[in-house]
Amino acid sequence: MAREDYDVLIVGSGHSGGMAANILTGKGISCLMLNAGPQADFARDRVAKPVYELPYRGFGEPGRHPHIYQADEFNANQWVDEREVPYTYDPDKPYNWVRVRLLGGRSLFWARESFRLSDFEFKAAEIDGTGESWPISLADLDPYYSRVEGIFRVFGRKEGWPQFPDGNFIEIDYGPDSQSIKKVIELATARGIGCSKGRGAQGQNGLASSINLLLPDALETGKLEIVPNAIVREITTDRNTGLASGAYFIDRHSRREMHVKARVVILAAGCLESTRLLLNSGIANSSGVMGHYLIDQIYGINVVASVPEARDGKAPAGLMGGSVFMPRFRNLKKDEKRNFIKGYCVRVGSGVGASPEMFALYGAELEKKLASYAGSCLVGGIYGERVPRFENHVRINKEVKDAWGIPVLHIVAKDSENERNMAKDAADTIEEIYHAAGWEMVSRTERYNPPGYSIHELGTCRMGDNPKTSVLNKYNQSHDIKNLFVVDGAAFVTCGWQNPTMTILALAMRASEYCAEQMRTGSI
Amino acid sequence: MKRRGFLRTIAAAPAVAVPLTGQQPAQQAPAGRGGMRGGQGAPELETTAADLTADAAAPSFFTADEYAALRALGNLLEPPLNGHPGALEAGAPEFLDFLIGVSPADRQKLYREGLDALNSQSRKQYKKLFGDLDATQADALIRPLLVVIPWSEDLPKDPLRHFIAQAHRDFRTATRNSREWASAGASSGRRGGRGFGGGTGLYWLPIDPVVRG
Repeated sequence: MAREDYDVLIVGSGHSGGMAANILTGKGISCLMLNAGPQADFARDRVAKPVYELPYRGFGEPGRHPHIYQADEFNANQWVDEREVPYTYDPDKPYNWVRVRLLGGRSLFWARESFRLSDFEFKAAEIDGTGESWPISLADLDPYYSRVEGIFRVFGRKEGWPQFPDGNFIEIDYGPDSQSIKKVIELATARGIGCSKGRGAQGQNGLASSINLLLPDALETGKLEIVPNAIVREITTDRNTGLASGAYFIDRHSRREMHVKARVVILAAGCLESTRLLLNSGIANSSGVMGHYLIDQIYGINVVASVPEARDGKAPAGLMGGSVFMPRFRNLKKDEKRNFIKGYCVRVGSGVGASPEMFALYGAELEKKLASYAGSCLVGGIYGERVPRFENHVRINKEVKDAWGIPVLHIVAKDSENERNMAKDAADTIEEIYHAAGWEMVSRTERYNPPGYSIHELGTCRMGDNPKTSVLNKYNQSHDIKNLFVVDGAAFVTCGWQNPTMTILALAMRASEYCAEQMRTGSI
Repeated sequence: MKRRGFLRTIAAAPAVAVPLTGQQPAQQAPAGRGGMRGGQGAPELETTAADLTADAAAPSFFTADEYAALRALGNLLEPPLNGHPGALEAGAPEFLDFLIGVSPADRQKLYREGLDALNSQSRKQYKKLFGDLDATQADALIRPLLVVIPWSEDLPKDPLRHFIAQAHRDFRTATRNSREWASAGASSGRRGGRGFGGGTGLYWLPIDPVVRG
């Protein structure tokens, strides 16, 4: 029996795929969503266990997730197993590719930090004097950000700063700042650094995922069908028109291959999986840019100080606790001369302890030291922007295939002096504030995690007005194949220091509305 | 002690035995080919964790000399403190013998060469193996090898210092994540966080795993 063709095929079910399904079905468009993994049942699939009952006493199965620093033995089964879906990289350029294939993807587990990009990122080439700008500005995306923030119930404190755009925020009471945080704010402000508070998505019932905020409404329309365990291998095109015609996919369990037809194909498999699929399909890359300009954020540095008055459990009430958030404060002025472009944000938390490895001690001496420093420390770290560079790229490695016989990605990502200088500037800045406060430096490092660690991989199908230098147009639509869209993070031109989720969602919403209108008018 | 734990668990089992043959579900599930009829009514039987009933087998990965050095190192770095068990009481050396034995080759090499180097230095300095040193001698050998690690992935380049740092980290985790540590915490009313101190977490079971024939 011939199956009915769908209006739109959506590959992936995370934030971007969920948004596409939500918008399109809301306009009466029938959608089929293919997801590479199963649906998790949070009640059935999780059990409370003491760590000593785990097979590896909390260490995790050795060698199972060598690149997922976020993995532990409790959550090991939520991540993609590298042995099933491997990837390759040059030995001296490690990359941490952190993936989730459950229905809902990484939207099930994200940290929910919710920021807008600003025109310092959208118009980066004009600010930095190098690189590319996006084909859109904050003004283009502003109404979509507002709607997304409403759906995800984003809280935040409005500041009116151009590098930290305000939004449609729920106002919350952050509570009074502790004395130590007030001191950081005073010293940072005196150095021209704006201090604010974190912004995040409240979601519903502790979850801000596509599975609870986007897909239920789409299913309610009766226009969405979701197929789990469907691993898409190739996007097919019509031999006569060159347009996308559907996709081959493989059932995860039986390995049976099937083909589905659709009028429009929307890729939302998560940045690098979407790009891998396009590269394996050999389409939409007349620019030669596909796979290039891989970016994400540097997460790291660790600068720790201890407040002497707070040691040995003697901190007076109100001295310690809380946090301060400093959005990008570098390279906001044209005449600023630094040894790096772009910027970073700083987060300082107060009231934490020192870690055992901060002291060259052991046994009773170490425990005494840790007890003394418990609750007396402040720790500062950053999210910094990596520079998009052509040489940071992904390509297909035909020599290695995943468990379903699909060629894997080879990832090439390496940092430059720009990232290292940025991290040093951040560590110097935080340390200077600690010194000015008269606190004892406990530990400092300018080190940061390898590319990919932030789980914010972006780019590789960047958007732009010029089809010769970009893969997608400003509506996330392929320059080459007009009924093909990529609505996840692959479209990013620059990454900013911000968690990209709100931007991915806003872009996916905008692209989906554009797609629906194009379908309505018969343009695609 | 293991046997007593086992007996306690048996004693805690329901006093009224569940008649296995008498269970009839309200609705019988369709019979499967394997003959498991009416499985949804099956009782959940009380079971006992293996480590409450048995001791770890003899070390199988490390040699006798390496293992003696490993035990001595654990005892030095993680001694019993403040009512909590130390590495030896927590069975950390036995656990690490298992863990390192199933670990990637580079980790095995780090441990083997580290323990061999400790024994070698000990022989050179004291004419006996590290496991035979007294506390003062062991401290004199280990203390200069301890380093501050400001970034968790930045372990020392020197292989022996690297080994000591890694072993310290591993002994700490293996000790604090042990059943023995949790029991001590529970008896003193303390509660540890997840990952340390016998904490409890939500464990994700394998989700719809692919079954390979």
